[in-house]
Amino acid sequence: MTDTLTTLPPGTREHLLSPVTQAALRVQNAITTGARDYLGAHGFQELMPPLIGPVTDPGIRGSKQVDVDFYGHRYKLMTSVILYKQASLLAFDKIFYVAPNVRLEPLETADTGRHLAEFTQIDVEVRDASREDVLELLQGLVRHIVTHVLRERRADLDLLGRDPAAFEALLREDFERMTHRAAVAQLRGLAHGQSADAEIDWAGEKLISEQTDRPFYIVDYPKGSRGFTDGESAAEPGILRNFDLIAPAGFGELASGGERTHEYRRLIERMRETGENPAKYAWYLDLARDGLPASAGFGLGLERLTRYLCGLDFVWQANAYPKLPGIASP
Amino acid sequence: MIRAAGFPEAAVRARARGGPSAVFPDADGYGGAVFGAAAPEGDDLDRVRLVPPVFVPHRLEKMYELGREPLYSDVELGRSVGGFTAPLPVFLCAFGSTQVGTGLGVAVSEQAGRLGVPMVIGENVVPMHGYGRVDAVEDGLLARIRAYARAVPDGLGGVVVQQSTEDADAEVWNLVYSDPDATRLLETGRLAFELKVGQGAKPGLGGMTVLSPSVAAAVADRYALDDSLGDVVLRSSSPGTFTEEILRQQLRLMRNNYPRARVWVKLHPGRDIAHAVRVAWCAGADAVTVDGAEGGTGWAPTVFLDHVGLPLAECLARIGKHDGDLLVSGRIWEGARALKCLARGATAVGLGRAALIAAAEDPSDGLIRLIACLDLELRLLLSALGKYTLTDLTDDDLWSPTDDQL
Repeated sequence: MTDTLTTLPPGTREHLLSPVTQAALRVQNAITTGARDYLGAHGFQELMPPLIGPVTDPGIRGSKQVDVDFYGHRYKLMTSVILYKQASLLAFDKIFYVAPNVRLEPLETADTGRHLAEFTQIDVEVRDASREDVLELLQGLVRHIVTHVLRERRADLDLLGRDPAAFEALLREDFERMTHRAAVAQLRGLAHGQSADAEIDWAGEKLISEQTDRPFYIVDYPKGSRGFTDGESAAEPGILRNFDLIAPAGFGELASGGERTHEYRRLIERMRETGENPAKYAWYLDLARDGLPASAGFGLGLERLTRYLCGLDFVWQANAYPKLPGIASP
Repeated sequence: MIRAAGFPEAAVRARARGGPSAVFPDADGYGGAVFGAAAPEGDDLDRVRLVPPVFVPHRLEKMYELGREPLYSDVELGRSVGGFTAPLPVFLCAFGSTQVGTGLGVAVSEQAGRLGVPMVIGENVVPMHGYGRVDAVEDGLLARIRAYARAVPDGLGGVVVQQSTEDADAEVWNLVYSDPDATRLLETGRLAFELKVGQGAKPGLGGMTVLSPSVAAAVADRYALDDSLGDVVLRSSSPGTFTEEILRQQLRLMRNNYPRARVWVKLHPGRDIAHAVRVAWCAGADAVTVDGAEGGTGWAPTVFLDHVGLPLAECLARIGKHDGDLLVSGRIWEGARALKCLARGATAVGLGRAALIAAAEDPSDGLIRLIACLDLELRLLLSALGKYTLTDLTDDDLWSPTDDQL
């Protein structure tokens, strides 16, 4: 990969006329087509994503939300549709969205190559599922997407110089599962000072991603590293029943998910533990008080998956109108 | 007329006339007065005396180093305060979001910046005064950060931004963390976020301010409002619900979400203060601020000012020996009280009401002169104790008339 600091998106015209952009967007189109095929065949209902609401996924890792003046009420642009995913299970047992998100990420993420302020997630939620159920589902989904892209967009991968051999291990072997604790130990073994109580930091995520040839899961993040919707283990208090999917070769995180907090009292406690004011989440808590289904699910980053499948240096290459943190652009 | 000698008849009559407004200090003085417990007879810290010894081995050590007799000018006051480098063991407390703070916020920030003294910006500044990025307010949060950042010398000081439960709705920390105006402070390790658990003036209550009915209407969706005070409206923040686990996890999440910022915690003087400070330190807080019941600039019911919370001296006694960074505040304005707190285990002392009064006396230099006095007194007192660094201070440097072993 090239030096991230030397490469920012060119102007809109140059970006749109670039064969790289065009090939990446064709691959991206195949990804959403493949995802819809797979999820549809597995009984999922696609819903249209809400764009604004009184609250959204609480800001994580220092990212800001965008306020919208909704007829005098302060609304938010969606940072993720997680709350709506849980609510939607009142209507359907298996749902997904192809959902746009806006997160004003910290300025320090501008040059990670993996952050966009505006991006899209394939957001999946399954009623009464366990984390293990959705780990299987996500592995199947990613394999199907890769197979579909290799079949439909081989010429684009060739144009981008992406060797299909990069996906042989992904298609052949199960994705390994590593606990957060083991990931911390591995990073410390690589002389990276990773905190045991926190999210894997961005440098650590890249480093651990470079150690393997196929995607793998990091599971069991500690409480305190994630928002209140990530469910806490009943058997191991302090450990969350969640995961990240990490792509190999330095591409880093592709997806996050897990079992959800859904019981009213636990939601109240977890909101306070994450510094949230429950009053802000009134509509969601009202639903939870009358019962929200248990569920598990994930959000798969569309531009990040595109970047990985295409072997792009930067995630912005997988977006027609990329918006990098702190950089004003159309 | 019924008379009741020896009974607080006048106070009862005031309540009978005024209703709930009589539970508070006179609202007419609101905006021109700062509050906090009055202690006309002094408190336990005031009764403690600093006691220089006759024999001064530390002075001899200093003389070895200097090759001459040490003087008060040889005292070293600089130290690390909550992860920042401070020229003396002093920081500026957050002010209540009263009208007193309005207009002085930027003046105080500029002077604190010139001194390189760490400064806390209080909760409610964003909800009440605005942030200052899109809304061009003169006394908003950004104006205060800018004033400080422009003035502060390289390598000194830092800004601490508080957030309360209601501030979380405004996402104050997220706003600041990615704001270009805070970048210089962030990149030089001089930005901290302070989780406000409570405050000294009203332990167990949230922030309170008195608003005009029109201003109150604008914040009605975020705060509890009480219109039983007559012509004005009482606006309350919630105290926030904390358990040991909630505090621990909130601190971990702060460290997770803002890895480049320092993490401070402000506690009210609760009876479990010794346990609470240790939970905060163990969860990774860079500093814990304890606000004695004597502290506080904000509006509070008089019953709280007079009857609620541990005095600062008792907080220090209960916390006892420790390895953490302990910041304290409560009626501190001069060197003696400051030095007593330092000898009892505080890392630094906070100026609240004193800083506001000094800045009001002279918005360009009042605080700078006040701190120059404090600096001089600390040097004189330390030197008199035969000590030249803060780390040499111990409880032996104090004498209390109620201390049995002395």
